Amino acid sequence: MEDDDKVLKDFVSILDDLTFNSKHIVTSLTKMAEENISYAQQFVDAVEARITKCVPKQKLYAFYALDSICKNAGSPYTIYFGRNLAKLYKQTYLIVDNATRTELITLFKTWMMLLPTGELLFDKDSLERIEQFLIKASSLHQRQAQAMAPPPTVPLLLKEIDKLSILTKERLTKKPDDSKLQTKTILLQQLKQELQREKLPLQALHDFQQQLRHIFAQEQQVWQQQQKEQQQQYLAQQQQVQQQLSESGGAPPSLTHPYEESSLFGNATLSMSFLDSISSPNTSPLAPSTNKVSKVEVLYRNLKHKNLLFEPAKESIVTLASKLEKTINPNKVRLPPFCILQDILGDVRSYYATRNVDILNTPNLQLSQQFVIQKNNPLTEQLIHVLYRAKPNKCTTCGVRFGSSAKERQLEVEHFDWHFRINKRIKGTQNANAIIAKNIQSRSWYLNYEQWIQFKDEDIVSTNVDATAVNNMALALNQATTTTDSDNKAKNELQIRKKYIIVPDGAPDMSFQCPICTEVASAVYDEDLAEWVWRNCIDSNGKYFHATCFYEASNNHTSKDNGSTGIDSDLERLKGLINGNSTKLSE
Amino acid sequence: MTAMSNIQESLQPIDFDSPVVAAKSVLIPPGKEWRVKVPAESKLTVKILYGIAELFGTELTNDIEYTFKCANIAILAIDHVKFEWKSSDPLEPSLSSDTSMPYIYNMHFALEKMRISSFDGPRILIVGKSSSGKTTLAKTLCAYALKSKAYTPMYVNLNPQEGVFSPPGCLTATPISDILEVESTTWGQSMTSGATRLHNKQPMVKNFGLEVIAENRELYIEIMDQLARSVDGRLKNDPHVRRSGVIVDTPPISHLDESFVELEAAIKNFNIGTLVVCASDDSLAIQLNQKFQTQVRSIVRIPTSPGTVEIDEVARRAFQRSQVSEYFYGNLVTVLSPYTIGVDLMDVVIWKPKSKLTTPGISKTTNMIELDRVEVTASNLQHALVAITYAPRKSTPQEVLKSDILGLALITEVNDSKRKMRILLPVPGRLPDKAMILTAYRYLE
Repeated sequence: MEDDDKVLKDFVSILDDLTFNSKHIVTSLTKMAEENISYAQQFVDAVEARITKCVPKQKLYAFYALDSICKNAGSPYTIYFGRNLAKLYKQTYLIVDNATRTELITLFKTWMMLLPTGELLFDKDSLERIEQFLIKASSLHQRQAQAMAPPPTVPLLLKEIDKLSILTKERLTKKPDDSKLQTKTILLQQLKQELQREKLPLQALHDFQQQLRHIFAQEQQVWQQQQKEQQQQYLAQQQQVQQQLSESGGAPPSLTHPYEESSLFGNATLSMSFLDSISSPNTSPLAPSTNKVSKVEVLYRNLKHKNLLFEPAKESIVTLASKLEKTINPNKVRLPPFCILQDILGDVRSYYATRNVDILNTPNLQLSQQFVIQKNNPLTEQLIHVLYRAKPNKCTTCGVRFGSSAKERQLEVEHFDWHFRINKRIKGTQNANAIIAKNIQSRSWYLNYEQWIQFKDEDIVSTNVDATAVNNMALALNQATTTTDSDNKAKNELQIRKKYIIVPDGAPDMSFQCPICTEVASAVYDEDLAEWVWRNCIDSNGKYFHATCFYEASNNHTSKDNGSTGIDSDLERLKGLINGNSTKLSE
Repeated sequence: MTAMSNIQESLQPIDFDSPVVAAKSVLIPPGKEWRVKVPAESKLTVKILYGIAELFGTELTNDIEYTFKCANIAILAIDHVKFEWKSSDPLEPSLSSDTSMPYIYNMHFALEKMRISSFDGPRILIVGKSSSGKTTLAKTLCAYALKSKAYTPMYVNLNPQEGVFSPPGCLTATPISDILEVESTTWGQSMTSGATRLHNKQPMVKNFGLEVIAENRELYIEIMDQLARSVDGRLKNDPHVRRSGVIVDTPPISHLDESFVELEAAIKNFNIGTLVVCASDDSLAIQLNQKFQTQVRSIVRIPTSPGTVEIDEVARRAFQRSQVSEYFYGNLVTVLSPYTIGVDLMDVVIWKPKSKLTTPGISKTTNMIELDRVEVTASNLQHALVAITYAPRKSTPQEVLKSDILGLALITEVNDSKRKMRILLPVPGRLPDKAMILTAYRYLE
């Protein structure tokens, strides 16, 4: 709440300082209005109150503020101000002196100019009301002025005739075949001659003047009409161009729409603030920006017509930027964070550094004192990238890097899956028997010579098979090594029971028959694995057995020929089982 | 398993210390290293906000907090890096652009070329004084080998005072098949029974058990020889590891015999092609060159980075303690549940290696590669770390010595009068019915 008050208070106090024509104050008010759209209604109320309450001389400045806010910030200010605009304008116009009135009229004229979007600044209705009011007021004003004006004299009238004939001639050059205009010029010439020749009574001179003014007004109207037509023509042209663009480019409509507004100078509000900022500081704070824009655009059109402009190609960076400008708020454009830039640059650099590296083809590279002792060896500097960004994808869990080839991608996916499974196991899961299987573990015994020299590290580091099978194997081994007890046998059996097989794709009816006990077991869905599995099952040479049956059978077999401790053969057999299992899975 | 879970839960270390500390953010330009020493009782968390940063060759992932305890760390910026760090203790980080990275990169690419051009990858042995950057170099080279072609270099740790995928007191060989765990004091986890955030490694572990090599050089060489034979066996079976090569890290040169007996054995047993000397000057390299120039293809010196921190005895002890703790209990990332059991004293057989420092009556003719039976008493075994071998309990000492080890256990309590002891096992279950070897390491929980 305090903040609310503060922003509004600031705005009002700045507004109160607007006792003279200050571009600075108007700009800062505009800026505040732009930045605090949420206070739009309050700001509008404040400006309106200011216009109503302040001394007549200062009302104009408040109008300048209103004008600037509407032209730069646009909606919703234009809508809010539009509601009371006609009333406010009329009240002010009636109170202020003639000089200020002229300024107010100039201001009003800028509101009547079409924005580059083809729309008016305020709603048509209020503007029309003001226009009507001004027409009436000016005729009233005229009458007053007439009363006070000096009596018409011949030289004065002659001057007016000259002016008029110049205007008419100008029009004639554009439309040389207009007979009406031709007669008009002749008429004017005749009038001039008449005036010079004869001495007319004062009343006749008065009538003469009235007529002349009428013609003059007509001329002016025609001229204004022409201007308007031109503008509309231009807009139509632009729309056509844009339509062509969207047709040929096949760009999505969402993109072409903002594009319609984009001339070389961006959209209206953008370029207005841009022009404001470059206009010289002593100009009036009322920036006739729309006017400027249209002038510049006329110039642009002319230059373009004469092929003096370089047109950026549709795929060029300029076009891209002008498109992007629409989506990026210019005040909030920031470079991406440093780390991202560093990553991009680093990845690109290492890609090029390692592209053609052939470590075999480097005669200097050898394990010798001479080579090793070199600092910043160019070859090494190049090779260093191999250790890091040459594999651009870094695992977020352990930091291991993966390359971008298809094979490396596959490894990466398997690696992530492995982390996921492991993390799940570490956290502990609730299995079907409602026993919380927490990851309670202890170290395993070390292997002896025979086991170790046969050991394959691929078994522990592989990520695409159930690596835990090896852990289970180690545990089973430990127990086999250290126990002959029946209750340890039970634990051992528990381990064996935990074995499972993911149902292979080709399984006809999701069930298997254990050849030893001839029992048929069907698949169960394991939520942890998100797979259908056969529990208590192992695979041996493509045949599926109950793990318990199989283990019992093979145990009997080994204890016959190996006496008390069958560790080695147990290991071999279990490893055989696991390897068989994994090849089956990878097929 | 489920029946045991309650006990195990209560055994998990609980973290109470979490006072709110403001994070400081740091920007490091490319090529600079941010170094800090985190004492055992302190904790440092680091989160990379943007840029590529690595810790001893392992790239850190962004927006994830890493926690370090009891470590000397040096975060290297590859490009402009911004990160946050916080610690409740007053740490004193420093920033320097003077690193040995240019040489390490050169060396890595030279090794990489050898891996591409031959089925038998590079075999290097890293030597140097204490705190000359040997382990950092080895770790960085291993981490880099994983990066472009996913090699699996065999890392061999011959320094029994440091544990790599094991508690201290062991010599290990580990194929580095996946990313190293930067927060771990032991480079990462050896195999566990459950799911771990990163892939585990499978080391070959040999128990030396003594603290100082000089106590029994003969035994040290014997154990190293056994390890080398395991590595040999593995390389024959595993063409990928063979192509990736072997990186051997050694104890500080001062721990070794002046005539380099151990180095000579290591060079021969591990079939070393290049000797890498970590030193700030050429003197050691020259000395080694005279001795080994006919036995290795090349000798290369890597200048010691000024960032290398001298590790004093207190810091080393603290580091070893945290390694023992990590073996049984895991770390903040991977919490492990060890298992305490009670056993009768008469059910255990414990051996110990001879030591020139403690074993009485050693003469020049004494066979040093022999084990002595340990009397099972509180004074001998309380708080001791013991290695459980694969050899059955009633095996001969020769068999025990030749045997591989299952793991280590901690004797937490020996009650002489009740003839009972309590043992902390890393793996739940009964005490394996195997012979054990006493190590020189003690750990009081």
